[in-house]
Amino acid sequence: MSLAGRTALVTGAGTGIGKGIAFELAKRGVKVAIHYNASEAGALDTLRSIQQIGGEAFIVQADVADQQQIARMVEISASKLGGIDILVNNAALQLDVNWFEYTEEQYDRIMNVNAKGYWQCMLSVIPYMKQKQFGRIILISSIHGKRPTDFDVVYAMSKGAIKMLGRESAVELAQYGITVNTVAPGAIDVGKFKSAHASPDRKKFPLGRVGMPADVASLVCYVASDEAAFLTGSTIRLDGAGSLM
Amino acid sequence: MSKKTVFISDADSPSGKALINRFSEARMDFVLNSQLDDKEWTDQLVALQAAGTNAIITHTDLCSRSDLASMLDKAESQLGPIEVMIHNQMLSEPAAIETCNETSFLDIMQGNAKSAFFCTQQVGKRMSTRERGSIILVSSIHSEKPTGAAFSFSASQGAIKMLAHEASLFLGRHNVRVNLIEMGPVDGSDALFPSEVSGLYESYRYKVPSAVLGTNKDLAELAFFLAKDEPRYLNGADIRLDGGFLMHYLDNKMKKPAEEDR
Repeated sequence: MSLAGRTALVTGAGTGIGKGIAFELAKRGVKVAIHYNASEAGALDTLRSIQQIGGEAFIVQADVADQQQIARMVEISASKLGGIDILVNNAALQLDVNWFEYTEEQYDRIMNVNAKGYWQCMLSVIPYMKQKQFGRIILISSIHGKRPTDFDVVYAMSKGAIKMLGRESAVELAQYGITVNTVAPGAIDVGKFKSAHASPDRKKFPLGRVGMPADVASLVCYVASDEAAFLTGSTIRLDGAGSLM
Repeated sequence: MSKKTVFISDADSPSGKALINRFSEARMDFVLNSQLDDKEWTDQLVALQAAGTNAIITHTDLCSRSDLASMLDKAESQLGPIEVMIHNQMLSEPAAIETCNETSFLDIMQGNAKSAFFCTQQVGKRMSTRERGSIILVSSIHSEKPTGAAFSFSASQGAIKMLAHEASLFLGRHNVRVNLIEMGPVDGSDALFPSEVSGLYESYRYKVPSAVLGTNKDLAELAFFLAKDEPRYLNGADIRLDGGFLMHYLDNKMKKPAEEDR
């Protein structure tokens, strides 16, 4: 896959899926800005993992609910990387609040990170991508942009918003050589699905396992590559057919 | 349909007017949320009362839990339990990914999606206690199809669609049905979504296979059906009401008068 020499900013790369994506991109020769908000230790761990394989990366902190912090994060990243070819919007919030207990403040917290933050990260990297007439924007969403969660209504609403953000931006940004795609993972093992691994329920997970961050990362690497040049405006469900059950 | 109290979240809009007309034919009572002064409603209220319908006008901040709760307390003490809620907020303004500002983005997202959530939460809570009710969320075909002109609007519609799906599960367990109407183009929709990157609204009326655009009256008819008790098994449905607009594929097969091509 043709990724070597590219540059990427991965948000929420101090934990879980983001960590896996940052690592796999770096493994393929991409210089990576590892974003985190509160997970500094996790981000440093991602950095160490990348350095151990000889990859190039650095960490950058920002609250992606805040446009000024996003702008600063992107400016630092672009300056250190020499531009940004790939943006992976991954940092997201899930509060699991009961329906009737959701407050205005909680609603805003989720929407400001998951929907507004995704748009404003995109907004900040566009000038760098336009300059090169090349860009890959990848939105990490969820199967819950289509299928209800039954545990966090506002989280699902934010994923519905991301679905349309991805489609609209694909249409609008195509003229600049920028593609925008959405990856919609199902259950991914970020430390919560050990029991499913121990005794896989094939009626829920036909492959006998949940996904791993590396599964998402592998797909992201393809979407970011030159081989995926014609792929834009798509949402790729990555759930081992779990949604079909 | 037996007499019910219907809450309409945007009574001022063309869709709100059509909904009032349709439901008043069946002598429903109304809680009408409005941005207009009460005096603007005087004639309409007199007409509704003459037709055997009671209505109250509210000016509630639909993004506020406490404002909504106070309004509902007051309205239900006057008119009885709200059995039908129709959220029909449809704020839209041109917004490009590259040039939109934060205030505009939040205005659209909150005006449409946040208000839909808190209306559904507060009205749904009351309906679930009574184990009865129908919630109708009026959305747009742009919960699926990009506008090429107003991304914040589309994002808000995507959010409302997921709200409907979640609500149909959670409230459905309390015998409250929640359905979504994805409204297609009506006369003038092209002006709402002027786009340099999408041709969706070019010759839009002829992309409806019959070449007859829908109206807010069509929307009101469908909402009226969903409000009845009869469609008791209809829950969690996304009903696209666009005359087949989104099925359009070949321009050369449109039912377009030849003189319009010249």
